[in-house]
Amino acid sequence: MLYAVETLNLTKRFPVQKRYRDLLLRPFYSKEITALKDINIKARKGEIFGLLGPNGAGKTTLIKILCTLILPTSGKAFVNGLDVTKDEKKIKKIIGYVVSDERSFYWRLTGRQNLFFFAKLNNISNREASITIERLLEFMELTHDADRMFKDYSTGMRQKLAIARGLLTDPEIIFMDEPTRSLDPITAQNLRKLIKEKIVGEARKTVFISTHNLHEAEELCDRIAIIHRGEVKITGTVEEIKRKLDPNRRYVIELKNPQNGLLQSIYNLTSPGKVKVIPDGPFPCNIQIEIETTDSNGSISQVVKEIVGMGGDICSLYEKELSLEELFLGVIDTENRMAGR
Amino acid sequence: MALFIEKPLAFVWRDFINETSYKFSFLLQFFGIFISTLIFFFLSKLLGDTGASYLKPYGGNYFSFVLIGIAFYSYLGISIHSISKSIREGQMFGTLEALLVTQTGIPTIIISSSLYSFIWASFRVAVYLLLGSLVFGVNMGNANLVGALLILILTILSFGSLGIISASFIMIFKRGDPVSRFFTGISTLLGGLYYPVSVLPEWLQNLSYLLPITYSLEGMRLALLKGYSLSMLMPNIAPLVIFSVIMLPISIMAFGYAIKRAKIEGTLTHY
Repeated sequence: MLYAVETLNLTKRFPVQKRYRDLLLRPFYSKEITALKDINIKARKGEIFGLLGPNGAGKTTLIKILCTLILPTSGKAFVNGLDVTKDEKKIKKIIGYVVSDERSFYWRLTGRQNLFFFAKLNNISNREASITIERLLEFMELTHDADRMFKDYSTGMRQKLAIARGLLTDPEIIFMDEPTRSLDPITAQNLRKLIKEKIVGEARKTVFISTHNLHEAEELCDRIAIIHRGEVKITGTVEEIKRKLDPNRRYVIELKNPQNGLLQSIYNLTSPGKVKVIPDGPFPCNIQIEIETTDSNGSISQVVKEIVGMGGDICSLYEKELSLEELFLGVIDTENRMAGR
Repeated sequence: MALFIEKPLAFVWRDFINETSYKFSFLLQFFGIFISTLIFFFLSKLLGDTGASYLKPYGGNYFSFVLIGIAFYSYLGISIHSISKSIREGQMFGTLEALLVTQTGIPTIIISSSLYSFIWASFRVAVYLLLGSLVFGVNMGNANLVGALLILILTILSFGSLGIISASFIMIFKRGDPVSRFFTGISTLLGGLYYPVSVLPEWLQNLSYLLPITYSLEGMRLALLKGYSLSMLMPNIAPLVIFSVIMLPISIMAFGYAIKRAKIEGTLTHY
């Protein structure tokens, strides 16, 4: 199967800049820092693949390698089957790179002039450029501001123009490095909607996006890879990751005025330590019981049956899902504990 | 239009819009040309016939001598500095990364980025020469324009190769390339910009003949002021050709190495 993006044991080490003392005392000594270690990921065509990780995890380095801006130290990376170290020109024809840095535009040129300049650098003829730019400005809802200088754009408009630039060549794969960074929540939400509905939904592009925003990854991505300290910890759909990291299921039962001894009976029904009682539940219930079970609905049915049998008054019962944030923190905590931090 | 010309034109168009958007600075540059011309005009009046024996090969007039010197010296500055400057600005302003992911090769990006500077320098040279001949009476009636153009091209090629080496240093070390500093300084001192090389002590004169600027400025003066033919200009043309033939391949190799190293170190867009 040909993947939009595939990496095989991809590793990147950067040399550490020497201090004056090292230059004098150890001129031939070189120290390296590992930015990416044995990265193996596969992003399918037509999906939104998310690279989720905290700052400094290696997300930008990975995207830059895939965009041929950085050479890997070892391992392989392919974009649409093309080797990043050998097929730089071919890769540039099929990718769009949405650089989030607003300094990557010419501030005293208008939005339209900026797009025209980058269109020329992407071998687009004048006539084709005019048509494409008009279409993209409309697509990004920037038509009315197209002839304003870039310096007068709002942060959201700048980000939209960055995406428009990434789409100039009608690329098959679009790399986005934290596209909603520094946007307010409403603009970020609108941009996510635009990516999901228009760029992937309508235009059928493959999007490879990096983010440290868990909500964004959960809302936007078909599949994600959690990356931390240069290593991919886990890959899959959000659901798969949740199941892999936390196979147990959690239920919350809200009870109204439980009788004496009922809670003890519930404790006895389940495994020790798997029941958490939260007093002062929401009106009209005054007790919440969180039960963690290792198997499917069978055991919770048994618990419910017992509670009702003992005269318990159940207000509501629902399954509680761990948020991606809780899972992410779990991965990071485990990693930190293993590293002895 | 063919892409090989469209892309450089796009850079020129970008830089023209950018430069002219700073209206005050743009207008001020014309004022600067007039002022510097005027300064050298009065300086030449002060000097009178003092250095006439040194200036005899170029027509004997200091103003004509220095006008051509300062007019064409700007090409040297641009050839050496503009390529590394465009890289440095791209790194600092953050535009370099966006340029590098386009379907344009790095050499085209770098060379095209300095084109506007050359066009602007040519315009300034034209203004200098027009002011000189129309307002201040410099006589260029016998000028060999073909010879002057050939020398100009060779000057750009030979100094452009130094500029590419300078850009290679910037690509790796980000700041403080020794090439442009050394060549600019030494060329100003020994190349015959403000005074003829014959003024220098003999050992410094010998040193000056190792610099391409010496041949460029002398050739340019002889072509424009004395109307020397191509064969008469050969002593100036030949060293420039040799310098270009040797330095261009070396500079291209150095630049290729610098880009590869920056890609390995991940510092292509660092500053």
